Amino acid sequence: MKRVLLTGLILIVVFSLLGSVALAQGTLPREETLYIAGMQWGPPTSFNPLAPNPAWPVNRGQHLLIYETLFAYNLLTGKLDPLIAESYSWKGYDLTIKLRKGAKWQDGTPLTAKDVVYSFQLGKKYSLYLSSIWDFITDIKAKDDLTVTMTLNKDKPHKARVETFLGQIFIIPEHIWTKIDTGQKALLEYPNTEPVGSGPYKLLSYSPEQIVLQRDDNYWGIPYYGKPAPKYVVHPIFKSNDAGNLAFERGEVDFSQQFCPEIWKMWEVKKLPVGTWYKKAPYHIPASIPSLYINIHKKPLDNPLVRRALAYAINYPKIAETAMSRYSPTAQSSLIIPVGVPEKKYFNQEDVDKYGWKYDPQKAIDILEKQLKAKKGSDGIYVLPDGTRLGPFTAECPYGWTDWMTSLEVVAESARAVGIDIRTQYPDAPVWNDHRNTGNFDLLMNTPAGGYTPAHPWLRFYEVMEIKGVPPIGQVAYWNFERYSNKKVSSLLDAAAKITDETKLATIYRELDRIFMKDIPIIPLEYRPWHFYEYNETYWTGFPNEDNPAASPLHTAQGIKIFYIIKPKK
Amino acid sequence: MKNPFARYLIQKMVWYLLAFLIAITLNFILPRLIPGNPVAVIVNQMATGGVQSDVLERLYSTYMKEFGLDKPLYVQYFEYLKNIFRWNLGTSFMLYPGKVNDLLGRALPWTIALQVPAILTGWIIGNLLGAFSAYKGGRFDSVVFTTSLVFSNIPYYCLAIILLYLLGVRFTIFPVGGGYSFGSTPTLSWRFISDALYHYILPYSSMVLVALGGQAIGMREMSIYELTSDYVNYSRNLGVRDERIIRYVFRNAMLPQVTGLAISFGTMMGGALVTESVFSYPGVGSLLFTAIRQTDYPLIQGCTIVITVAVLLANFLVEIAYGFIDPRIRAVQLGER
Repeated sequence: MKRVLLTGLILIVVFSLLGSVALAQGTLPREETLYIAGMQWGPPTSFNPLAPNPAWPVNRGQHLLIYETLFAYNLLTGKLDPLIAESYSWKGYDLTIKLRKGAKWQDGTPLTAKDVVYSFQLGKKYSLYLSSIWDFITDIKAKDDLTVTMTLNKDKPHKARVETFLGQIFIIPEHIWTKIDTGQKALLEYPNTEPVGSGPYKLLSYSPEQIVLQRDDNYWGIPYYGKPAPKYVVHPIFKSNDAGNLAFERGEVDFSQQFCPEIWKMWEVKKLPVGTWYKKAPYHIPASIPSLYINIHKKPLDNPLVRRALAYAINYPKIAETAMSRYSPTAQSSLIIPVGVPEKKYFNQEDVDKYGWKYDPQKAIDILEKQLKAKKGSDGIYVLPDGTRLGPFTAECPYGWTDWMTSLEVVAESARAVGIDIRTQYPDAPVWNDHRNTGNFDLLMNTPAGGYTPAHPWLRFYEVMEIKGVPPIGQVAYWNFERYSNKKVSSLLDAAAKITDETKLATIYRELDRIFMKDIPIIPLEYRPWHFYEYNETYWTGFPNEDNPAASPLHTAQGIKIFYIIKPKK
Repeated sequence: MKNPFARYLIQKMVWYLLAFLIAITLNFILPRLIPGNPVAVIVNQMATGGVQSDVLERLYSTYMKEFGLDKPLYVQYFEYLKNIFRWNLGTSFMLYPGKVNDLLGRALPWTIALQVPAILTGWIIGNLLGAFSAYKGGRFDSVVFTTSLVFSNIPYYCLAIILLYLLGVRFTIFPVGGGYSFGSTPTLSWRFISDALYHYILPYSSMVLVALGGQAIGMREMSIYELTSDYVNYSRNLGVRDERIIRYVFRNAMLPQVTGLAISFGTMMGGALVTESVFSYPGVGSLLFTAIRQTDYPLIQGCTIVITVAVLLANFLVEIAYGFIDPRIRAVQLGER
């Protein structure tokens, strides 16, 4: 009995070893397959773009492989590039969109203006991810097969925000979805495991381990855009970031969007054919500002001087170096991102130097001792003249978001070094979410208006400082979590929403940013790219980068062009 | 009842049923005690772009209704009980509209196929090794004892990561994770099976090593204890043959080891969590992990029910098995004592 068992075991081991030697890498031809990572973590269950949480590449974030949007946002120009539609134009409150000739669904049915109207109107009929566009438009019509018109809501005439939706709302085929649309529940529940989109790829197979797409060689856009290079696109579903990064390093993944610490070592030390957008720090184009939100209604944080002292105390260079693994320039005291095409033109270094702050612990101590007349207690923490101790304040972010956790550790450490008592706390994401939305926090890390849209940086100012429509602390808010309130800000934002002229906008943004630096409702800690754009050229070459800026460094939106540019390595 | 064993069996079953009921109630309550609202998280993902509050509120109530979270808690509880007895574990929130039954159905075979053989191999080899080294003594014993001590005392995740680093990263002998190569699709072909086996080796061996160490130590101690006991000395004096004595010793020393095996099976899913995370291996462990992190009530409940059933079933079977192994316990079961 023993012997049989042992022999069996040895046989299994030997067999599998032999098998592995004989085994090629999977069954899809490697030279025709692009492996992509970082956009899907759980097992895929739904490819329904209307569902709350569909799988890649139907999930939100402008993946344009199966379903397409009217336009694709270009990070390099800050504008919308043509996709299903070729152009749009405003005339007063009316928006006219011209569709491309010859657009088709993957089942061969023509894609017309009626499909566009249908897709948008579903958001009016039901509560769906796209419903919010109906805050900004009042009507949508198909003028003919290739022309769509929309009418702006005169109470909220913000063109840039409507344009944002043009790059976000998936157009879905009316002839298929009218059959499914028997009510909201039916529409949400439909798993759509054989999605029919208008994009260049079709869903070939999916399992909890991977999602496989196959190129549609009848793609309607071939005359306009050409044919994407990879015949197959596979997204393996990793259980952890580390597993995905290992596979990327080994060349098993070609194109990754995962946070990968010290990636430069892959080419500088290990000499691997790996690259990011920039060859040097910050390696990625900054696109959002993870910040420290402050409870500005709670003593003593309600005092702007205390906030200012804290702002001077934080070691921003260290956060960029350690927490962000050099993927962030040192944070500046502005709600405008100082690097990259979309916002740089609005950034005003002069104002930031004059009204803002930077890492300067001595200055923090000066504010505390001279302006606030605080005294340092025996425990090294300052106490205000009225007896209020500066802390302990709790600073929180979700557990497992390691870059943010490290950022907060730096915040706590540098604040304590000055004499402000900050303690970190890492609840699970839903708890953090709850604390944030209800305003139940001392200090909390969050990104205002992440990702880029044509409405940036307006949207960032709005999400940080606009109080209109925000319920009081205790109730659920979806922006302005610190409940900062300033009538002047609201009127400036309203004014900016109506303007498209860049010089006039710059004046308003400058004023908004000065108010921000005076009142300090949040403290920018670092910059984060929209996507971590990482490629390994072992099997595919020609990925765009700083020297070859042929497409946006994104796996989504206008980054779809990358699929057309890359070539298999011979 | 005439048959005392049947009476014993029924008695036990009633107790286990009671334990099951308490457990599924806890399964319902505990996930709901995790602070944080799962629906708010989903709605939040749609909120990027400064969407107006009223739209989000509408979305929020749509999903609350859709997930049945708008009803009072007791209604939700009875719905849950009703569904369990129909073996319907509900719809996942995060992987909506994925059915928990399907998700578990796809994950379970992976976990079982990895854990059961690994636990059994570790247990069998460990026990043989332990008994043999206790009997043999000397240099062999000290080598086996020290290595077992090392393996059983390294925290499992450390051992797993060390193995992964050495054999997967440093020397790229084995793949670093996954159940099979990406790009291949699960089929019953030799190619796929060999690929899956290739991915199987590392997680499998890591678990065998740990189980083996613990079992060997336990068995060795028990055997040494038995070897010095009165009945062994007595048998020796009587001139009973060595093989026979070893058989007695083995059977007696075995008893706690059987409990150990049952516990290993019961806590299999918990162990699966670490193995599956480290080796990026598909299965219930990684499913449970994601579910907890996202307060996905139905999915957490589904996973914990599977675990509950596994633990209860393992214990039940062991209790029955005891009767066959140990006559003393059989006597109790049959009401003879």
